[in-house]
Amino acid sequence: MIWSMAARSLTRHRARTMLALAGIAISSAMLLDMVMMSSGMRESFRELLESRGFALRLSPRGTLPFDGEATLGGAAALIAALERDTDLTSVAPVLGGSVHAPKGEGAVTAFGIGLSPEAQGDYVLVRGRNASAPDEVVMNRAYLTASGRRVGDTLTLAAAYDPQLRTFAGVQRVTIVGEARFTYLASDQSAVALPLATLQAMRGSDGRDRLSLVMLKIRPGLDPDSVGARIAREQPRVSALSTRSAVKQAEERLGYFRQLALVLGSISLVVGFLLVSTIVTVSVNERLGEIAVLRAIGVGAPRIAAQVMVEGLALALSGATLGLGLGLVTARWLNSILTGFPSLPDHISFFVFEPGDALSALGLLVITGFVAGALPAWRAARLPIARTLRTEAIA
Amino acid sequence: MLALLTLALAVAPAADSTPRARTIAVDERLATDGKLKLGDKVVVSAEPGGAGDTLVIAAFVKRSADPSEVARAEYRVRLHLADGQRVLGYGDRVDRFAVATTSDSAAGGAVARINASAFGFRAHRSAEIAVESSRTFAVIDRFHKAIGVITIVASAIFLLCLMLLRVDARRREVAALRLMGISERSIVGSVVFESAIVAGVGSVLGVGLGFAASAIVNWYYQGVYRTPLVFSLVTPGIVAFAVTLSVILGLATGALAARRLVKLPPLVLLGR
Amino acid sequence: MSDAPRSERAPTVSGTASSDRARAAGDRAGRDIGDAQRPVVLATRDVKREYTLGAETVRAVRGITLEVREGDWVSLVGPSGCGKSTMLNLLGAIDRPSAGSVEIRGRDTATLSDKEATLLRLREVGFVFQRFYLMPQLSAFENVELPMAEAKVPAAERKARVMELLSYVGLASRAQHRPSELSGGEQQRVAIARALANRPAFLLADEPTGELDAATGADVIALLARLNADGTTLVIVTHDETLARAGRRVVSLRDGQVVKDEAT
Repeated sequence: MIWSMAARSLTRHRARTMLALAGIAISSAMLLDMVMMSSGMRESFRELLESRGFALRLSPRGTLPFDGEATLGGAAALIAALERDTDLTSVAPVLGGSVHAPKGEGAVTAFGIGLSPEAQGDYVLVRGRNASAPDEVVMNRAYLTASGRRVGDTLTLAAAYDPQLRTFAGVQRVTIVGEARFTYLASDQSAVALPLATLQAMRGSDGRDRLSLVMLKIRPGLDPDSVGARIAREQPRVSALSTRSAVKQAEERLGYFRQLALVLGSISLVVGFLLVSTIVTVSVNERLGEIAVLRAIGVGAPRIAAQVMVEGLALALSGATLGLGLGLVTARWLNSILTGFPSLPDHISFFVFEPGDALSALGLLVITGFVAGALPAWRAARLPIARTLRTEAIA
Repeated sequence: MLALLTLALAVAPAADSTPRARTIAVDERLATDGKLKLGDKVVVSAEPGGAGDTLVIAAFVKRSADPSEVARAEYRVRLHLADGQRVLGYGDRVDRFAVATTSDSAAGGAVARINASAFGFRAHRSAEIAVESSRTFAVIDRFHKAIGVITIVASAIFLLCLMLLRVDARRREVAALRLMGISERSIVGSVVFESAIVAGVGSVLGVGLGFAASAIVNWYYQGVYRTPLVFSLVTPGIVAFAVTLSVILGLATGALAARRLVKLPPLVLLGR
Repeated sequence: MSDAPRSERAPTVSGTASSDRARAAGDRAGRDIGDAQRPVVLATRDVKREYTLGAETVRAVRGITLEVREGDWVSLVGPSGCGKSTMLNLLGAIDRPSAGSVEIRGRDTATLSDKEATLLRLREVGFVFQRFYLMPQLSAFENVELPMAEAKVPAAERKARVMELLSYVGLASRAQHRPSELSGGEQQRVAIARALANRPAFLLADEPTGELDAATGADVIALLARLNADGTTLVIVTHDETLARAGRRVVSLRDGQVVKDEAT
């Protein structure tokens, strides 16, 4: 009968119950969004980094991959040393830099990635084939569109463009042999992949025997951090970054969002708590006489407390369930805003739905409802029967 | 001219025999973390282990309040142009010039003239560059606004709920007033007045709380990111918006709830 | 109570009513044979109750000794503030005495824990209040069923018992109505049915006609008389002289003490 009485108590004042439910639903939607956001970026970034199976990244000491213009010299020796390393199963060297294609009186610029097509983790071929000859390149849709070219076309690419003299340096005639989607770049960011040696040659002294980054796959069962630490010891010019460390560093940089998620999530819980406790407290205060009578006719204090707590829980549970759906809608909306960040890889999502997250949010709200109902329930159970009956009779 | 420089920090004290001390200004965070003092010598190179240039620390510089820099932990140093060009092997080149104009209105004309006459140069107004470089913050701004909308809806519902409860708690009082012959209009008026007072006082307290929260947010994040950037700003516009919204909501809810009560017969309100 | 079917078979209303002895005890002629033969269900010995009201100590009950036997109908009367309601609370194990003792079927209420007192009220005491105090969200049926559900009476038995009681008070046809859909007299009859649900040892009523008009009050008095005739022990606090006189014994209180204890 407790459930029935609790449900009917809530439906006695429909307007206030509906408002409370709406408030709790919004609070729980916000909480779910914040829980999704606090882990979403990390998981999304981890998935992105792990998507191609490279567990380690080497960059010039003291730098993060592609975080500046620093490059590593002695590329050939470094690659040879890494290829001899039995802990590694794949070595993918990368040199980055701007490339320019003449167009009209100016040039269209793209991010050029010099790599070994047979061991690369930077792009996925959409059509055509990999660049296997020194004068072959693969482009993404954005650069094909910007340069007005198609797969199969031949064009001139340059490593440097002097707008003052309108001259190009490091020129190479290339053929577009494939269209690719670049894993770590935004889809609207023009990019072209070409053989490493070609880009090194095009960059002249700046690129000769140089690298921006080496991506490494390691043997299964090995700890990437340990392998990375060993390589960094053996190659003092490099910093080794495992996916785990990269995710950690990205989290530190995006700490603002995590902290915002924590603050807003906490506020949501407080609002949910206040709503439930206010509604249940008022509901108990309005029924002091009824509660005293129930106690007088022999209903036990635990039963009274249970009924009040059930009211709080029912409010929290219903609101949280509504909030779950609402949270998914608002998460989609907020994600569409945040994915507007410039140069954000397409696969990065700020809000990732995990059933565990939804359960956590729901669980937190339900616990909040439980705690919020506890104080009024305790008060109701400890009500002095005789005095309350007298007071209510006078009222 | 932005490039990665490596500083070798373990250096000998400054020697007086230097004919002309070439100087450098370093980030005060670097000075703190590296225990550097004014007058210390540092070796600056373009890459780790590369041949460097020895410079004397002449100044510490505070990090600018630039939002685009806030999440970056790297240190920044300022070199004289010639020193920078030499360390980086940049030759007689620069990345850009900053040009001051006599007035803001003159800037447009200057941009047009430079672009028309200078061969290979592109002139941009600072504001245009700021817009381009602040795209990230435009996104964050939109995100904050979206969060704000959700928060406002939640607060509005909370306020509505509270007002409804407050008025509902006065059922017996309203019934007694009705039985005494007090008009519906007077009762609604008094409830609305009370609601306005509650909403007004509540908003004043809320504004106070907002200022306190803002101060805590700024203190915390300025410490975390070691930046003078102001993260949270309570502007008069925001205060006006919050107070207006809560007072309007308070009045509307009070009126709505009071009208609901006075429409019920007094004996029903008394539970008879 | 014009709609109350007076010919309705009397339900088993008191805790011992299932026995023939109870029915015999409920018989007025039987009672006249000798009070000593009927067991004491309620006894107070020099009971006192004081409480503080602000800085003042109120001595609401100042040493009352009383015995109520099975089948009795005792009316507690007296002016406002004489301690009637406090006495009723003490008799119903809602309140505890400051001194002296209250025994319900031989159990001293002062020695009971809150849980034991609650259980005692559930099984041995039936309460009827001036303002009925039915649960507004429950139907008449559910209101009567509530104490039985609390006492874990099986559902089938509960249903039969509720209908028996509602028929007895003449409200079987109103079983599914909410209190707000019932008149004052009907609400009080539902409250009486609720008080009888667990076959209590006695029924305590606080001004049961206080909220009712004269005609409806008379119906309720008639119902109480019928209950007593059918074996229910009644202790009633009232200002209503008609109700007081309807009982067998009137105990007058003044300033927390018994000033008169007479048979009617």
